[in-house]
Amino acid sequence: MKKRHESRRIAPVVPTASMADIAFLLIIFFMLTTSFSPERTTVQLPDSEIRTEVPRNSAIIAITADGAIQFTDGERPSFPLGSPEEIGLLTQEIIEFIPDKEFLIKADRMVRYQLIDAVLDQLRVHGAKRIGLLTEKKVRRGT
Amino acid sequence: MQLRARLRSPGAIPTSSMADIAFLLIIFFMLTAVFVTTRGLQFRFPKDDPTQVDVQPEEAIHIKIMGEGQYMVDKTPMSLEEMGGYIQMKMDQNPQKPVIIQTQPDVPYFVMIDVFDRLKYLQVEHISIPTRTEVERWKAFGIFE
Repeated sequence: MKKRHESRRIAPVVPTASMADIAFLLIIFFMLTTSFSPERTTVQLPDSEIRTEVPRNSAIIAITADGAIQFTDGERPSFPLGSPEEIGLLTQEIIEFIPDKEFLIKADRMVRYQLIDAVLDQLRVHGAKRIGLLTEKKVRRGT
Repeated sequence: MQLRARLRSPGAIPTSSMADIAFLLIIFFMLTAVFVTTRGLQFRFPKDDPTQVDVQPEEAIHIKIMGEGQYMVDKTPMSLEEMGGYIQMKMDQNPQKPVIIQTQPDVPYFVMIDVFDRLKYLQVEHISIPTRTEVERWKAFGIFE
């Protein structure tokens, strides 16, 4: 009886082989869902109910609450600008090659409209046609 | 001979460290993942032609944003709700009616977005956001105050 019991005992093992499978599955998921955005400034966007998908690789102009401006053409990493007037030349360069390029404004909700207007003005004067104003989803109506 | 046979271990691939490497990579991708907000309100600028004014301001609904909750719609002060009703009424009469949004320089950006969003919600087709040079040009034409 004793002998038989001992022979049936298996050494305790944690099954680690399948662990890697699960982990690699998760890696593939995160790799596919990750998009490396050239614009990574954190701003508190204004809310809106209507939100349409904007094209990827658009040029992004980020404006933080303190009025600092970051610019990216959608491919290279964003860099800071000194004044809204600098956007004009950059816009002109982009529009020359891609006339239909979309320009996104990623501005903090508390930015004074004066600055937004100055940026929009530069874009319009230098030939930009398509503009997008990035927003967050509005949670409820009437706020 | 007997001894050698006992020493031979079964062939095994060390898989336990594989999970460690994999989880390290997971953490890397999780941390670098940016959940990009690629949604927003879109509009188009009209063709830039100084001799032509695309929107006839005298025919349009003119919204002037003075501050949060302070809107002048066709020279009448209104709340956002009243403005919604007014624009809905105008849209029922003429869905092609253009709407001009003019925002005062000191107003926070989100106030303008609220108005713009409301117009989009009411399916206003022609929304015009004149920038300062455009406003000046319109003023020069004498059709804007």
